Amino acid sequence: MDLLSNKWIVNVLICCFFIGVGCNSVEKKIYVHLNYTVPCVRLLNATHQIGCQSSLSGNVGVLHVLESEDNLDWVLSKGPNPPYLVILEAALFTRSIMMKLKNGSNRVAGVAVVAPNTNPTEPFSPYTTCPNENTGVYTEKYDPAYAHCNVTVWNPLGNGLAYEEFDFPIFSLKDDNDTQVIRQCFLDHNQVVNGSAPQYPLCAMQLYSHMSAVTDTATCMRRNDINFSISPEGVCDPLGDSNVWASSRPINTTQKGHKNSENVIIAAARLDSRSFFFDIAPGAQSSVTGFVSLLAAAHALRNATQEAPPNRTILYTFFQGETFDYIGSSRMVYDMENNQFAVDLDNVHSVLEVGQVGLRSDSQLWLHSDPVSRRNSSVNDEVRKLIENLQVASKDLNVTVNQPQASQPLPPSSFQRFLRARPIPGIVIEDHQSVFTNRYYESMYDNAEYLNISYPSNLTADEQLEHITETATALTEVATMVARALYIQAGGEESRLPSITAEARLVTRMLYSLLIKSNNSWFQEIIPSEFMSRLTEKPTNFYVGVANWQSSEPTFLVQYLLANLTGTVVNVTKEDCQHQREDDKDKESHHLYHYMWVQGSVPPNGTQRESFCVRSTVHLSKALSPAFDPLKEYTSTEYSTWTESRWKTIKGRIFLVASHELEMLTLGVGVGVLVTSLLLTYLISSKADILFSSGREPTNATY
Amino acid sequence: MNLERLPNEEKLSLCRKYYLGGFAFLPFLWLVNVVWFFREAFVKPAYTEQLQIKTYVKRSAFGLLLWVAVLTTWITIFQHFRAEWGEVGDYLSFTIPLGIP
Repeated sequence: MDLLSNKWIVNVLICCFFIGVGCNSVEKKIYVHLNYTVPCVRLLNATHQIGCQSSLSGNVGVLHVLESEDNLDWVLSKGPNPPYLVILEAALFTRSIMMKLKNGSNRVAGVAVVAPNTNPTEPFSPYTTCPNENTGVYTEKYDPAYAHCNVTVWNPLGNGLAYEEFDFPIFSLKDDNDTQVIRQCFLDHNQVVNGSAPQYPLCAMQLYSHMSAVTDTATCMRRNDINFSISPEGVCDPLGDSNVWASSRPINTTQKGHKNSENVIIAAARLDSRSFFFDIAPGAQSSVTGFVSLLAAAHALRNATQEAPPNRTILYTFFQGETFDYIGSSRMVYDMENNQFAVDLDNVHSVLEVGQVGLRSDSQLWLHSDPVSRRNSSVNDEVRKLIENLQVASKDLNVTVNQPQASQPLPPSSFQRFLRARPIPGIVIEDHQSVFTNRYYESMYDNAEYLNISYPSNLTADEQLEHITETATALTEVATMVARALYIQAGGEESRLPSITAEARLVTRMLYSLLIKSNNSWFQEIIPSEFMSRLTEKPTNFYVGVANWQSSEPTFLVQYLLANLTGTVVNVTKEDCQHQREDDKDKESHHLYHYMWVQGSVPPNGTQRESFCVRSTVHLSKALSPAFDPLKEYTSTEYSTWTESRWKTIKGRIFLVASHELEMLTLGVGVGVLVTSLLLTYLISSKADILFSSGREPTNATY
Repeated sequence: MNLERLPNEEKLSLCRKYYLGGFAFLPFLWLVNVVWFFREAFVKPAYTEQLQIKTYVKRSAFGLLLWVAVLTTWITIFQHFRAEWGEVGDYLSFTIPLGIP
C-alpha cells in the first residue's frame, strides 16, 4: 500500500516537471512572434501629442488584409468580428484610408503596414506641407505676407500623417517571411468568401506599443520631475543630440563669446530626417545630399585653406534635430547670443547653407535668399556679393546657378534661425526653384533607390564602395562649387580656384556608407577601434532621437567623417593622442584641436592595422532645445519643445482565436468543475465518519 | 481578546479608548469599535455600563459614516477631475498612471 502511494507521488512529480518544461513549447505553439517590427511612437510638443499607442496589455484584433479602399467597410461596419487589425500594402497607406480608420477606431485594433522592397510610383510624404511653420523666420511679426507659407507651400505632397494622433498601434513590417506567414494565416482562416463571415477559429494579431507619456511636453516633463511615488520613473525625454562643427582655422573653444580677430562664414547643412515610423529615416535627398556635398567641400578646401589661408574663417556646421523645429540651429544661435559658443553672432559674416541638392534638373541649382532682410541695402549688397561668388565658382563646372524670383521667401532651412536673431546675409542652395522636387520628403522611401544609387550586381562590397555612381559625380560638382564659393567668400585668391576640386571617389564612399551600410572597410579605417560596434549593416537611421550620453549614429558618423576629411595626421603617440595633447608638456592644444586615435588600414603585407592620430578642429556642441535647458519653458513658442515618450515593450505576434461562445463555454465548464469538486469535497468530509469508519482505527490522541 | 471574559467596567474603558482614539483621524478605530461592541451595546441584556457603551458605539458609527461620505465624495471628485486639474492633479497624486491623461 505504502509503496504504491510513493510511486504515485513520484509519477505526479515527474508529470509536473514535464509540464513545467513544456510550457515554453506550448507558448511557441500558440504564438508566432514577428521578428522585424518598427512601431510608430508618440511624440509630444507644447500643445499636442502625435503618433500611436496601444493599451498596456497590447491591442488584439482579427487580421484583415485590406485589398482596396472600397474594402474598408468590412472593417468599419460590415465585418462581424471587430475589432480588426488591418494589414495595409504600402500603396494603401494613404491619408484618406488612415483617417477613416482613425475615425472608426472603436472597430480598429491596429494597423500593420507592409513596407515594400522597392519604392512606389506615387509620391508620398507623411510630413506637413509647410515644414517647421511656426519656428522659422517667417512669423506674423517678421512679415505677415510670408507667414504660414503664404507665398510658397514647400511640400505640397505632404499629407501630414506623421503629425496625426492615432489611438491604436501602427507597425511597419518588412516584406519577407513574416508577412508571408501573416498573409497565409489570413487566407487560411479569415478570407471573406462571397461576403459571408469566416468561421472560427480566426487568425488574430496582437501589437504592443504602450506609451508612457501623454497630453503634452509640459505634462510629461512635470511628471518626470515628480519623485513622490515609490518607484519614480521618467515618462518622456527631450529630442536632441549634438551639432558637429569644425573650422578652417583653429578657434579656441574654451574661451567663449566674442573673438575680436574672427570673422566667420558659416557653411551649414542639416543632419537629420524622419519618417512616419520610429527607426526608419533614410533621409537621402532630405538631408544626406546636402551634408555629403558640404563634407566633400570641406575636404576639397583642406589644402587650400592650409597653404593660402583666406582672411575669414570658414565654420562647417552640421545641425541636428532640424526636422523638429530647428533644434540644433536654434540652440547654436542661442549659445552665440549668450556667449556660450566659441564665437558670437557679431563674428558671423555670412551664411551659406546647402539644402537638398540631389535631384537637379538640367544641372541647375537655385540660390534662395530672404527678401525681407534684403530690403536693407547693406545686407542686400552682401547677399549680391555672395551670389556673384557662387556664380564665379560655378564657372567651368557642370552646374548652372539661378535665382528664384525676388519675392520668394527662404525654403525651410537652418539659416532661418540666424535671420530670426538678426539680418545676416546668406544664401540657401537647393535643387528646386520653388516647391520641393523631392517626392518622398521625410518618408521611408527617401532612400538610395530614390537617388538612383545602384550598383552592378556582380560587385563585392568593397568594389561597390569604390564604384562611382552618377549621383556621386553630380554631387561632386555641387561640392566643388560650394568649396570654391566658400573660398572666395572667405577672401581667398580667385586664381587658386582651379586647384580646389572635390573627389568623386570620396563622395561615392560617403553615400555608400550612409545610405547602404556603414560597416565597410573604409569606415572601419577612420574610426577608433572601440566604436567598431556602432557601424551597421543597414542604411543609417537619421531620426534625431532623444538626448543622452551617447551621440546618435548620424552624429557619430559625420563627426568622424569631418575629422578625417578636414584634419591632419600628426606624429603623436597613442597615449598623448587620447589625452588630447601633442606631448606631455602640451597644455594648450586641447583648446584648439581634437585628437582621435583611429584604426587605420591593414598594410598589403601585414596583419595588424596601422593606427594613427588625427588632429582636427572638429567639435560637438549641444543640440538640445533651449526650451529644456536652461530655460525650462515647456510651452515655448520660440523654441522646439519636442519630446519622445518612453515605452517598455514593442512587439507583435499572431495566433488563432476561438469564438466568443467557445471561450465562454470553456470558462463555464471550468467553473462548473471547480464548484462540483468543492461540493464533493464538502460532502465527503462531512460524511467522513461513515465513509471511512471501517478502514481506520479510532484515534485516541487528545488535542 | 475575548470580550465575554472581560468585566463590564473594562469593556466600557476599552470602548471609550477606541472612541477617543478615532478622533486622531483614525476612522478605522471607529469601525472596529462599532463592529466589536455592537453586540454588547444592542443585543446583550441590559447592565449598568451598557448605556455608556451604546452612546460611544453610536457616535463612532456616526463619525465613521461621516468619514466614508467625505472620502467617497473626495475620491469621486479627484478621479473625475484629476486630468482636468493638470498640474495640481499631478502634485496631488501618489502614483500617476502611465499613458493616460
